[in-house]
Amino acid sequence: MRNKIIFYLNGIRKEVGAKESSMMLAEYLRYDQCLTGTKIVCAEGDCGACSVLRLFPHNQSVDSHNYVPINSCITLVAQLDGSSLVTVDALKEKDGTLHETQRAMVECHGSQCGFCTPGFVMALTGLVEEKLSKKEKTIDPQEAKNGLTGNLCRCTGYRSIIDAATSIDLDKCRTIKERFYSERQEVDLTKVYAESLLIETEDFFYYAPKTMKESLAFLKDYPDCRIIGSGTDLGVVHNKRRTQLTRLLSLHLISKLYEVDRNGDEVTFGARVSHTEFRHFLKDKVPEFSRYLDVFASPQIKNTGTVVGNIATASPIGDTPPVLLALNATIVVESMSGKREIPIDQFFLAYRKTAIQHGELITQVKFKVPDAKSHLRFFKYANRKDLDISAINLAMRLKWKGDEKKEIDELIIAAGGLASTPIRFLKTEEALKKSFDLEAAVKILHSEVKPISDLRASSAYRHVLLENYVRKFFSEASV
Amino acid sequence: MSLPHDFAHTHVTGESEFVDDRPIMRNELFADVFYSTRAHALIKRVDFTEALNDPKVIAIFTGHDFAHNLWGTIFKDQPILATDKVNYAGEGIAIIVAETREAAQRAKQKVIIEYADLAPVLTIEEAKKSESFIIPARKIERGSVESVLKESPLSLKGKIIIQGHDHFYLESQASIAYPLEDGQLEIHSSSQHPTETQHVVAHALGLPDKDVVCQVKRMGGGFGGKESQAAPFAAMAALAAIKMKRPVRLCLTKDDDMIMTGKRNPFENEYKVGFDQEGKILSLDVKLFSDAGAYADLSTSIMERAMLHIDNAYFIPNLRVTGQVCRTNHHSHTAFRGFGGPQGVATIEKIIEEIAHFLKKDPIEVRKLNLYTDEGERNTTHYGQVVKNNCLGRLFHELEKSCDYKKRRHEIEKENKHNKDFLRGISLTPVKFGISFTTRFLNQGNALVIVHNDGSVQIATGATEMGQGVNARIAEMVTSELGLTRKEARVMPTRTDKNANTSPTAASSGTDINGAAALLATRKIKKRLSELALKLLDIPKEKWASKTAGLGTQAEVELKTPDLLENDPNAGAEWQSGKASYFEIQFEDGWVIHPKHLEKKIEFKYLVLEAYLNRISLSDYAFYKIPGIEFNKIKGEGDAFLYYTQGVACTEVKLDQLTGEVKILRTDILMDLGRPVNEDLDMGQVSGAYIQGLGWVTTENLYYNDQGLLLSHAPSTYKIPSIQDTPRIFNIELLENDENFANVRGTKAVGEPPLLLAVSAWTAINDAIRQLPRYIASYPELRIPATSENVLRAMMPERFKEWE
Repeated sequence: MRNKIIFYLNGIRKEVGAKESSMMLAEYLRYDQCLTGTKIVCAEGDCGACSVLRLFPHNQSVDSHNYVPINSCITLVAQLDGSSLVTVDALKEKDGTLHETQRAMVECHGSQCGFCTPGFVMALTGLVEEKLSKKEKTIDPQEAKNGLTGNLCRCTGYRSIIDAATSIDLDKCRTIKERFYSERQEVDLTKVYAESLLIETEDFFYYAPKTMKESLAFLKDYPDCRIIGSGTDLGVVHNKRRTQLTRLLSLHLISKLYEVDRNGDEVTFGARVSHTEFRHFLKDKVPEFSRYLDVFASPQIKNTGTVVGNIATASPIGDTPPVLLALNATIVVESMSGKREIPIDQFFLAYRKTAIQHGELITQVKFKVPDAKSHLRFFKYANRKDLDISAINLAMRLKWKGDEKKEIDELIIAAGGLASTPIRFLKTEEALKKSFDLEAAVKILHSEVKPISDLRASSAYRHVLLENYVRKFFSEASV
Repeated sequence: MSLPHDFAHTHVTGESEFVDDRPIMRNELFADVFYSTRAHALIKRVDFTEALNDPKVIAIFTGHDFAHNLWGTIFKDQPILATDKVNYAGEGIAIIVAETREAAQRAKQKVIIEYADLAPVLTIEEAKKSESFIIPARKIERGSVESVLKESPLSLKGKIIIQGHDHFYLESQASIAYPLEDGQLEIHSSSQHPTETQHVVAHALGLPDKDVVCQVKRMGGGFGGKESQAAPFAAMAALAAIKMKRPVRLCLTKDDDMIMTGKRNPFENEYKVGFDQEGKILSLDVKLFSDAGAYADLSTSIMERAMLHIDNAYFIPNLRVTGQVCRTNHHSHTAFRGFGGPQGVATIEKIIEEIAHFLKKDPIEVRKLNLYTDEGERNTTHYGQVVKNNCLGRLFHELEKSCDYKKRRHEIEKENKHNKDFLRGISLTPVKFGISFTTRFLNQGNALVIVHNDGSVQIATGATEMGQGVNARIAEMVTSELGLTRKEARVMPTRTDKNANTSPTAASSGTDINGAAALLATRKIKKRLSELALKLLDIPKEKWASKTAGLGTQAEVELKTPDLLENDPNAGAEWQSGKASYFEIQFEDGWVIHPKHLEKKIEFKYLVLEAYLNRISLSDYAFYKIPGIEFNKIKGEGDAFLYYTQGVACTEVKLDQLTGEVKILRTDILMDLGRPVNEDLDMGQVSGAYIQGLGWVTTENLYYNDQGLLLSHAPSTYKIPSIQDTPRIFNIELLENDENFANVRGTKAVGEPPLLLAVSAWTAINDAIRQLPRYIASYPELRIPATSENVLRAMMPERFKEWE
């Protein structure tokens, strides 16, 4: 059993104990390693100034081949275990030559005050890495925007940054992998990954076993331990000083949990599958879901955040729960006393409270891919189209009986942002299935919720949006 | 292509140093501010016992620990830390000093405080009712407003509500105070106004100014938010540093920064306008009300600028504008790019839109009809200043053509009639922004230029660098004057021991004032070097000091002419090159040349050495004051500005009828920036300002609870534009204008004016909504910001009413 977190930082091996492991990565870089190129602005993963590149070379996933940008401000150093990391401070070549992304940012005036710049440079370099791995030759403006959605700039108006991105000569780029990753590192990190980890001090407890069995045994004995997935939620709560991350169980060493698979019409994915990975997987299987994940969060968050985490945190405005409700997903949980399956519509019990019991872990989620005759539509409304928390989200699945489109066979309407949990509109569904009378159904629809007014939307706006989306869906599905 | 920002190459590598990037000293402490969560309350009891229980927490200080606890730029009315009463949620109460940041932050939660709530004033409406004002209302008036209003063939009245706007500089307020020997202090602050920071710190601690030095290397954005409001945080760090005799770092989290610091002032303006059948404005009576927050800060000056920009680009023969600054229980609002100008301009642009809608005319026609012209009295503002170098007509003409306005408007109006999913709108608005501080004494600056022995140059001015590239421009001006390349000069960190009694880097004037001072200092040196070069023409090279130095065999070259004493940076300069020459000597490409003795040209660095050896000063200091600012604030009359920066923008928007979401389809901007020193840096200011303004008019929504505590205090809840929000087509062009003789080298200031062009996005949204059949005989009620919710509400108000 290891008792040190092991990772590579700009090509240098780091072996750290409790003190460093319990720090947020951005703070560790800045105040412990004096690598102050990485900036902290929001400490909540919403601005990208803290972006660094990470390679997690252990599973056959999108981010196991490439260095991808992540938010270092909400990532614990402990979560870097087994990773290779590159920060802006090391990006310039040893002879002083700027990386192509840096050159482009300088020449196109992509930097003004310079505070967001290192984050943009790293996110852009992440995009370059992706492009190089696909052997693509150019970056177009939309790709630049998509790659930089997770980075905020207040000076430039982004125009020059888009110019910089599109002016990058990919032929001139040496990959980060080539520069910072080696076979020796791979061998070393593989060894690291093969061994369980336990850091146990008075102030910080971090356990990462190799098997599910060990995890479950541990959970039974230590019910107060929090399970940390990517920490994109916990890291924020920690930074805002609403909690302290001191006792954690991490499943990052369990390979099985990274699996995402399709068997016939059934899709299953493990607890550690990231949004990036999932989106990639769904692209040709459930394109509507994949499209929906496009406007969900930033590349940095999607690269680490897990779909299961998004479910387990049970936020009433989580973006995947309504979709999984519409897909009738099943949550597979395990404990020492065995496995059980929870239909997702029985999973969310109350505000941030789920059907998971003490000693249980979500290991897998599964759902059936809707057939070609199903109408599937997922809406997300947020105050800013991209990189924003939903005010309301809505997922609907419909199958007509016969071709006249007058009678409904199957229907699910699920939403977030309208109650203390993600919900199904069971009465509306029932009424519509009984008789397809939209006007009558709309009245029932409203009666099923009493949304609150908050900083994202007023109650009235939520009502109006709900009705508009539902009407839109049926008008599209009726054509 | 223009040169990049002078530190772009270290920005991209992360080497550029910001306050919190400074290495942490071994004995350094971290401070954090405990603040009020009540809008208006007496502090009955504060108990720090539990907070102090953590061994990492070293000390806690309150307002009583300052020698003087009051500060304020215009009126000293604001406590650095509230002692017995809080006047807004977010007002500092205590400084917690600890060994780590985290300990200080967590200790805040352990402070026990008891309040006795008082009735708060949280809106302009409430302030008006209870007559809660900072100062009595001010008024600027021309003509016979009442009688012409009565006689006008047509008239309208209305109101515009404008909410606040957070600066959202990426680097939150930050300062480190280092105690030095003998009771001195060195402050490193992210401040737009090092002089004020120095003065506030010294006053608060009861120190003479000479014992406090403030240094500003750079800021991670300022936008006005660090003009006045950096100072109190520096004073807090300084207090702790002096008390503990250890360096103290105070860097706010984004959340605390947003909760504690002031924003762009909210305004609620009421107007009555009289006009004729064509749309020509005959008379305007407009009342401006601003929300200052709890203390005066800069709000009275901001109101003044709003009043001076209520005309925007239009001649209004009879105009009365009153400005009332309301005191509320909010954070003290402050300078923000545009400084009241945007709130004035948005008001008149809405009035124009309404007039056009009423007359069923294209708003662009109404705008053109009312523009300032050079004819007769139609060139004079309501405060009596003549609009010189007026480019408005040209700007309209050129942009209207180049952006294909007419054709697009026609298509949009046609399509809107049958498209049930989306509504489009288009609008073209101008800006005429007055450049200068309206407070005369602020229009002064100084600079120190040092030529070193090897010919390389250091420049120090009072300007602070916050991304705008002021230092790059100053360095380009100085080096071009000396015939050098920019990399041969370096602009040093701004320090109050080099440049004292400076003004804030604000009002877009950084380059105007400090660049002119630096140029004047450079010319003093240049004149001496020129005279020396002339004299050296007659001395054989072997007798030059560099060959004979130390031998004492040669007489020293003595300069006979007096030093340059000049306040006009354009005097003596050739207009095209902007360079001055003395004794016919030219400085070019590193050489010093007399045109009649080309063979005797001297390398610049050689001449510099020769000057040193002949005991000729290679450094100089110059002072510059902007001439001709004669604005009588009591009468509201006179020349408030040195010149006007002008521009126009056309924005096209698309509104989603399902959600109210706004998409900016296309923006075309044409700016008059005179003759830029660095065109690309100026373009960067234009696009950045426009997008920042776009956030103000669309998605940036400050949301407070019933105690005036800001709830949208982080990027997760406060939405500034992201890269996806930029217009799909975004064209920026500069107008050729070689005739701004008023300013240094024919340039025009650029920092603020383009922000006001984002008003075109807001008027375009209005333009889209007003095309709905429901608005045939009325005008939509839309506030700033036009969030999706506000937009949808304006599109289908009765649907919202069902649920309210």
